Amino acid sequence: MSSDAVKKRKPKVVRNEAGTPETKRSRAEGDQEVRVYNEEVELEDRDPQQDYMLYKDTCADLAKLMAEIQELKSSGAKVGSVEIEERHRQCSVHFITLKKLNRLAHMRLKKGRDQTHEAKQRVDVLHLQLQNLLYEVMHLQKEISKCLEFKSQHEEIELVSEEEFFQEAPAEISRPHVTRDDNHQLTLARLDWELEQRKRLAEQYKMSLARKEKIQKAIEQKREYLSSLQPGLQNIMQASLPVQEYLSMPFEQMQKQAEVARHLPPPLYVLLVQAAAYGQACDKTLSVNISGDVDEAKALSRRPEDSQEDESDSDAEEEQQNTKRRRATVGVQLEDKRKAMLRRHPLSLCVDLKCKDGSVLHLFFYYLMNLNILTVKTKVSTATDLSGAVSAGELLNSESLLNCLYASDHGKETPNPANRYQFDKVGITTFADYVSDLGHPYVWVQKLGGLQFSSDGAQSELRGSALSASHMEKTMKLLRGRLQARLALHKQFSSLEHSIIPVSSECQHLFPAKVVSGLTRWTMMSYQEFTELGFVQHVLKAGLVCETDLFFMAVVERGTARLLAAVVLNPRYPEVMPLFSLSLHWKGERSGRTEDNLRAMESEVNVFRAELQGPRPGLQLLTNQIQRLCVCLDVYLETESQVCDGSEGPREFPREKMCLRTARGPSRLKPFKYNHPQGFFSHR
Amino acid sequence: MGPVELLHMSVFSQSFSPCGRFLAAGNNYGEIALFSLSAALSPDASEGSQKPILNFTAHDGPVFSLLSTDTHLLSAGNGEISAWSWAELIKKVSQLFSKCMTSLEIPEINAMIINPKDNSLIVGGGDNNIHIMDMETGIFKSVLKGHTDYIHCLCFKEREEEILSGGEDGAVRIWGHTEIPLSRFQTCSGMVGQECARPQFGKWISCLATDSDWMLCGGGPSLSLWHLRSMSPTSVFPLPGCQREAVFHQDLIMSVGEGPYVSHCLHGGTVKAQIPCTPSSLNTLALNLKNTEHRVMTVGGSSHQIDVFTNFSYRAFSLSF
Repeated sequence: MSSDAVKKRKPKVVRNEAGTPETKRSRAEGDQEVRVYNEEVELEDRDPQQDYMLYKDTCADLAKLMAEIQELKSSGAKVGSVEIEERHRQCSVHFITLKKLNRLAHMRLKKGRDQTHEAKQRVDVLHLQLQNLLYEVMHLQKEISKCLEFKSQHEEIELVSEEEFFQEAPAEISRPHVTRDDNHQLTLARLDWELEQRKRLAEQYKMSLARKEKIQKAIEQKREYLSSLQPGLQNIMQASLPVQEYLSMPFEQMQKQAEVARHLPPPLYVLLVQAAAYGQACDKTLSVNISGDVDEAKALSRRPEDSQEDESDSDAEEEQQNTKRRRATVGVQLEDKRKAMLRRHPLSLCVDLKCKDGSVLHLFFYYLMNLNILTVKTKVSTATDLSGAVSAGELLNSESLLNCLYASDHGKETPNPANRYQFDKVGITTFADYVSDLGHPYVWVQKLGGLQFSSDGAQSELRGSALSASHMEKTMKLLRGRLQARLALHKQFSSLEHSIIPVSSECQHLFPAKVVSGLTRWTMMSYQEFTELGFVQHVLKAGLVCETDLFFMAVVERGTARLLAAVVLNPRYPEVMPLFSLSLHWKGERSGRTEDNLRAMESEVNVFRAELQGPRPGLQLLTNQIQRLCVCLDVYLETESQVCDGSEGPREFPREKMCLRTARGPSRLKPFKYNHPQGFFSHR
Repeated sequence: MGPVELLHMSVFSQSFSPCGRFLAAGNNYGEIALFSLSAALSPDASEGSQKPILNFTAHDGPVFSLLSTDTHLLSAGNGEISAWSWAELIKKVSQLFSKCMTSLEIPEINAMIINPKDNSLIVGGGDNNIHIMDMETGIFKSVLKGHTDYIHCLCFKEREEEILSGGEDGAVRIWGHTEIPLSRFQTCSGMVGQECARPQFGKWISCLATDSDWMLCGGGPSLSLWHLRSMSPTSVFPLPGCQREAVFHQDLIMSVGEGPYVSHCLHGGTVKAQIPCTPSSLNTLALNLKNTEHRVMTVGGSSHQIDVFTNFSYRAFSLSF
């Protein structure tokens, strides 16, 4: 066992790195004879299990020996006795065994660790190699894919298709026997062919250019020739003028107009054409002229894009300058921008509508270029000087003359919805401020110019000329009707202010011969004053009044009775009947709200249009209404059996009108209906 | 019907259908409009349900009186009465009577009532007489003459089968029905000098209502409650305007007339409440007692709107022509 181990010899010393104590020992003994004991080699022969058993046995022996020594010592043996010594020796030997075993154990451990370490090293090396290889693989794959994706410039050139190529290209380029098999050759051939063709076409192009130059020169020459003819033609035209006048064919004038018309903006042009056509065909009293600065118009049409660019550039410049300057010139610039936005086209149309009595309605149409809308201004010239009736001031006012030609067409706001955004940019809140300068942008004006905006409930599919033509006749008729109605009203007002109700002979049959109540006052009111009256609230509540209407107050009197009538005149008179509201001051104050008979009088005057409008075109409506009002007041006062405080005094108004019954029905209404020719009053 | 015509429209008469679900109203243009109460009173009523479901021209003069029998609607125009079947209101069933008096002015018919006992129609109007017609045959049975001016209103006492009539001449006449033509009549025309007389307005009687022993009458004179047996006024109601229609309802007396309100009065003579309405003066008041679901009061007058009261103390909504 251990004694054998001590005596073992080894001829060679195989030293490895592990184990320092042995190494030291071997170096010390290295010069001497190399007979060193190598415990490590021995280690391989031994079995760890056996060693473990040995260890256990040794420990047991040791314990046993110790016990024996103890026994011996306790049984009184001497310290240096033989048995004890023997046992000591054996213990020492056991100790030595134990030490060896311990050493062996440590050496085993170390060896195990060394082996593990080595193995790990090897594994690491292999792992590293693997990674290197993988990396390389990846790199190569990337390279491959890059190569595969490579597009050469030649693919950007558009080539004719293969069939065409084979058909068209001559054989020496296409070389079908080679190229049909080999794609590379095919592509090369195609490129060759492409190059040939391009060269050829470049040649052709140069030749065409040269030809074009030549032709251009020829045109120039011919033009010069023609322009040299111009003065000659002018002379001929001048000479022919007297002939034209003699034959009354204003040929040249129409030509001149056509010449100018070419520079008109499209909507005005449409209007011109349609109005002239309508005038020629249907209405001889309509005439159209162009007025304005033709040169400016020419300048405008020559460079429309440039001017727009200039505007935007100048805007940009101005903005830049703006930031540099300290003074506030923003207001001025804004004003300029506004002016630019609201600029009118230099040319305008003037349409004249003549009426039978010699009065003329002049309409001036303007085109606002940036806003793309048409506006109109009016002027009325009459054959006779209209004597100033005070209440008639508003009637022919050019601002409101054409108001509501079609229902609710006030002409205060621009009908083009896109203008809203343009206005926001330059800070214009409402177009109404500029209307007095620029004219009214009525919807019918836009339609006459062929402009249709999506906000006008667009049901019609018409555009341009068709739209204009479809509205022309109706609008012209309405315009003429409006002028005539206003002139008639003007005349009527001047006599109403003199307390005379002008009833024409055709309408005499509506009224009895004797009418005692008389009109004493006829004045105009403003909308504000109208709304403050107490007896008109029902009309306001029913929504039958709006700010653009004209308001008048008529006062009818008879004796002590005074009847106030507030009249609402719609601009579209006589299409829309004037509305009367009554208030009677006689022994107290009553109105149509408090008394049923006054309400019946209101209804008598307001509702029966067919009776009251008289002969066409119904311009007698208002005066007939006023006359009927007087008649009704007569009937009312004469049939009122006023018995105040019991006394039967003389009646203020003796009964003169012939009535069958003075009261009828649950509300005891008076007879207001006049029957002709019998001449008596009955109930409706 | 433009907005101006609507502004000048007056509603003169109303009548509920036998089932109580429809209201017929007549106006001064001779039109009758039919409104569906069930639609207007339903929880999901809208603007449209306050418009008539049917609107037709019945006569060429104003329709001053409408009356409903179990199957028909009777409407009165200028001197003519038409009967319309409730079932199919479009077709005219028959024109019951047509009058032609003087050719100059055709008298209007202001009031119609029915005597259910012998199924006759009693009509009073512009020719100062009361006509009684048998509804089965359509023949006029009798004429009651006596008024000196046109008749405003008629009223019927069920128990004694007597007719009361009030007219422009200021007289209230009571006509017995036991003997034909006119037997006994008594007038209450001694209103002059009585406490209910109002000479500043006039003497005409435009509304009558009776509750067997009691009679309401008013018009030019103030609305007053009379005890019929003693022929004397027991209470006078201090209402400012002239009343055009009054009814007894449970303990109250409701009346309408000049002035934009419905007056609730107590038998003792006090005015309990005046409920405001949209028309500026009222011509007709009707209570729908036939149908418990649609128990409403409707009033119409100088406006194209008819106010509907579901709770009699305030206006709920308005139907409009």
